[in-house]
Amino acid sequence: MSVLRISDLTIDYRLGEGSVRAVDHVSLEIEAGEAVGIVGESGCGKTTLGLSVPLLLPTNASISDGQIVLNGESLIGRSEEEMNHLRWKSVAFVFQGAMNALNPVHRIDKQILEAIQTHEPETSKDDAQARVLELIELVGISPSRAKSYPHEFSGGMRQRAMIAMSLACRPSLLIADEPTTALDVISQAQILALLGELRRQENLSLVMISHDLSAIKKVCDRIVVMYAGVIVESGPTDTVLRRKNGVVTAAHPYTKALMGAHPDLSGERILAPGLVGNPPDLSKPITGCRFAARCPEAMEVCRTQTPPTVTITPGHSAACHLAVRSAS
Amino acid sequence: MSEKNVIPKNETVLSVSDLVVRFEGGGRQSKKKIVRAVDGVSFEIVRGEILALVGESGCGKSTIAMAVMRLLKPTSGQIISGGVNLATIHGRALQRARQRIQMIFQDPFGSLDPRQTVMEAVSEPLLIHKVGDSAGERKEMVFEALRMAQLNPPERLSENFPHELSGGQRQRVAIASAMILSPELVVADEPVSMLDVSARAGILRLMMDLRDRLGVSYLFITHDLATAWVVADRIAVVYLGRIVETGPSEVLVKNPAHPYTQALLNASQDGDATISAAAMVLKGEAPSAAAVPTGCRFHPRCPKYVELGKPESCRSEDPRLRVIKKGEITRRDHSAACHFTDEVK
Repeated sequence: MSVLRISDLTIDYRLGEGSVRAVDHVSLEIEAGEAVGIVGESGCGKTTLGLSVPLLLPTNASISDGQIVLNGESLIGRSEEEMNHLRWKSVAFVFQGAMNALNPVHRIDKQILEAIQTHEPETSKDDAQARVLELIELVGISPSRAKSYPHEFSGGMRQRAMIAMSLACRPSLLIADEPTTALDVISQAQILALLGELRRQENLSLVMISHDLSAIKKVCDRIVVMYAGVIVESGPTDTVLRRKNGVVTAAHPYTKALMGAHPDLSGERILAPGLVGNPPDLSKPITGCRFAARCPEAMEVCRTQTPPTVTITPGHSAACHLAVRSAS
Repeated sequence: MSEKNVIPKNETVLSVSDLVVRFEGGGRQSKKKIVRAVDGVSFEIVRGEILALVGESGCGKSTIAMAVMRLLKPTSGQIISGGVNLATIHGRALQRARQRIQMIFQDPFGSLDPRQTVMEAVSEPLLIHKVGDSAGERKEMVFEALRMAQLNPPERLSENFPHELSGGQRQRVAIASAMILSPELVVADEPVSMLDVSARAGILRLMMDLRDRLGVSYLFITHDLATAWVVADRIAVVYLGRIVETGPSEVLVKNPAHPYTQALLNASQDGDATISAAAMVLKGEAPSAAAVPTGCRFHPRCPKYVELGKPESCRSEDPRLRVIKKGEITRRDHSAACHFTDEVK
């Protein structure tokens, strides 16, 4: 059974007189125990999509269309009180820069304890305390450091503490927004290894939002590439991000451009051309493919017709006229 | 013409030797901790060369940059540029010297004044260093710098405020204002790590292009070994305030000698191995510069140390940088500070 099913989700932000369509008819399904990475540039809608699941969108955002179904229950239209019940227990969220969200004047263990007591008042204090220690160990912090204050921890340790806290009420789905962005390479690798382990040990489903393809490659089974509010490509991580001797299996030129943006230590020592220009203005209607203006392979049809999503191999699909052409 | 000309003019633009930067921690006199942020670092950069300093956060790489910029005063050591020792000069002499060394910061959102137009921001260095005879001449120089940073059309862009620009464009503005005084050396501290992936390549390409055209040198600070590899001529890997390995980029990445460099490479590799990469990840945190381990400062985290049965020398003797493979010239030697380099391959 799928843990999360998003269908045709559309989210608009009101801005002054107009509005911006940040997420435009996006559908996505996540199975139990699966890890899915959502990747894209800033402003592509990946964070908005993530925030929509626990219904934590900013007040000027509105869901104009679509469905969000979590563990078989539809979420849209639920009251704040009902959602409060579901957050933490069904779906937990690790925010971008979350390690700076720890309260500086309380010890780490106390903060995690508080999360358990707030969301599960029925749990006895002894049980809750035992769970705190369990969680702290689970994320690889030595129990002797449980009574530390956040400032005594490095960035990587704080991020571990935040992950421990997010797991306080044993959620079935964890959404992590850029969990490693502010960390250096070694801490990044450690946090990614941790997320991978947690997934297997706790049978956790994971949605990881990131602009870092190599981070997604290390943890996720499946990748979803977003551009200007729509999904342009999705498929098994191994297939979409494969890069052997300079040959890629990614179908969408945007995915290829993202892959080329970071030098590959096992490949050639060259700097890829990168992308010119900026994503389109989402407050205006767009004709044709959203990526056409920046696409190195754009054809005439790309500027006039919205590309349909085509299946390339089972589970791997892309919304691109080039893929349509090679499929037919 | 011999092939030696591939290496640009062998004129040294920066020579750092035995640089030490210590900070005194807070607390009562008896308990004061000394933080050895930079602990004896030496390197050289010649005209048109890009040297990358690579390491984890807290390793001291940014402190080295700050010392070179003289944004802080080193505890000891020499920083020679343009015939003067930047470590000891001050006042006018320092200001004159600063004209030749400029900096690009990590955060183009924070490094630009939100109330200044691009014109004001880029012309500011001209005013500070009294370059340009008239407002008209300075304006032309700004346009030229903006064109050089590929901010077109400069006439229109110079009227913009930072919030009207994308992250990549802001970093281009920062580059334009760093380049307007025609510096010999630019210190670039993580210049692309806050930018969107799609904008990064453009900025790096621009920096390399300016090196080719103007012969400017860079001290490029990054935590990303892969980026250092494609951008820099040489890489110096910094760990706890020391250079632990240095060499031409290609050599260092293909044949890393120090176990720390090997771990960094493992962490940066995005190959197909998902779990084995994670398994090689160093255990534990980088130890603090306030409590540098005895002997080799890397030994508490070193996989090689464990593998070799915890040899005594790693705990007691501080390894010095020594040459592993001679380069065509001394500056391009491949060196590492590890007692067991030869065995490490």
